[in-house]
Amino acid sequence: MFYLSKIEHKLPLPPPRLVLPIREAIHMELEKLFLDKVIANLGLCISVYDIRSIDGGFIFPGDGAPTYTVVFNLIMFRPFVGEIITARLLSSDADGLRLTLGFFDDIYVPTHHLPHPNRFVEAVQKKSKKGIWYWKFNDQEYPIQDTDVIKFRVQNVSYPPIPVEQPKESKPFAPMLVTGSLDHDGLGPVSWWFEEEVEDE
Amino acid sequence: MKILEANAGALTNFEVLDFLRAKGASKDPTRVIAKVMQCEYKVYDYLVNTAASVQTRENINEFVTSAKQHDLAKAEVLNIINIRPAAEVEIFPILENCEDRFPDDEVSEIVELVKKTLPSPVTMTPEEITKSDKETSTLKEGKGNEINEDQNEGAEQMDTS
Repeated sequence: MFYLSKIEHKLPLPPPRLVLPIREAIHMELEKLFLDKVIANLGLCISVYDIRSIDGGFIFPGDGAPTYTVVFNLIMFRPFVGEIITARLLSSDADGLRLTLGFFDDIYVPTHHLPHPNRFVEAVQKKSKKGIWYWKFNDQEYPIQDTDVIKFRVQNVSYPPIPVEQPKESKPFAPMLVTGSLDHDGLGPVSWWFEEEVEDE
Repeated sequence: MKILEANAGALTNFEVLDFLRAKGASKDPTRVIAKVMQCEYKVYDYLVNTAASVQTRENINEFVTSAKQHDLAKAEVLNIINIRPAAEVEIFPILENCEDRFPDDEVSEIVELVKKTLPSPVTMTPEEITKSDKETSTLKEGKGNEINEDQNEGAEQMDTS
């Protein structure tokens, strides 16, 4: 789920930061630059782990800031295909489910990755959620609700290219998309499987 | 920006949580004193609710060494540490081709090993989630204690820094 990635970057350090010790100043500048951002094929940057080396400090002609070559490690959130992750439900509609980890929201479970046989019931009163999915098993129906912790398997991680022009009224652009699957024994809301155990006992 | 090494090593949930705690993240409600960014707090909030919150370095080392006798891939070991499956049905999706690779006895052996070496999370066990309706009062007490503990931790770190 989390990985370290070693990165080299030519970093101009703005003059107001120069009052601080150099390491601290660069650390702050790196946090400003990378934290909570997605780097294509590397994942979502969680934190600056450490700074390996700081070189240079050259001031380019006409530039008001020294430029350092910094080598550092970032903690990246990058799920691997097949990984099991616990998440919570963000929304569910006729297209499937959207899950959230709290810090990452672009996890989608399309209908063909839901446990089947399943059934979708549209909600009338609630505006935020458009319905609830049910899993039919042994003549019983198990709902997928937001009260539960949901386990999913990572099916695919994609980094769509930044669109030149966003079509109007489309959902906001997501730089990293995770497709999840619930269609396996042991996946889905945690309570499904715990109840089973009680029945077994 | 130049990517020198895309994968310089995998981290378990515990290691990330440990790193954030060392940075000063805690359940302290004010959240301004420590040098932790908002997005790091979001990760922290996610991780304290997982099995990683009660694990220690020793637990994990112990598990990794004793898991070597089973033929597990590195990613599977990592996933088991992060999820801490306490039942066979929970470990089943983690192991690839579980039925072909492992006989039933070995699967239950691994589950036993997990139960023995990795501590069970207090907040997140399915037991408490299902029972929460009936026992909300007791659960609240438990949570209250935890917050206090975390605040204490934060205070200790403040002193040292």
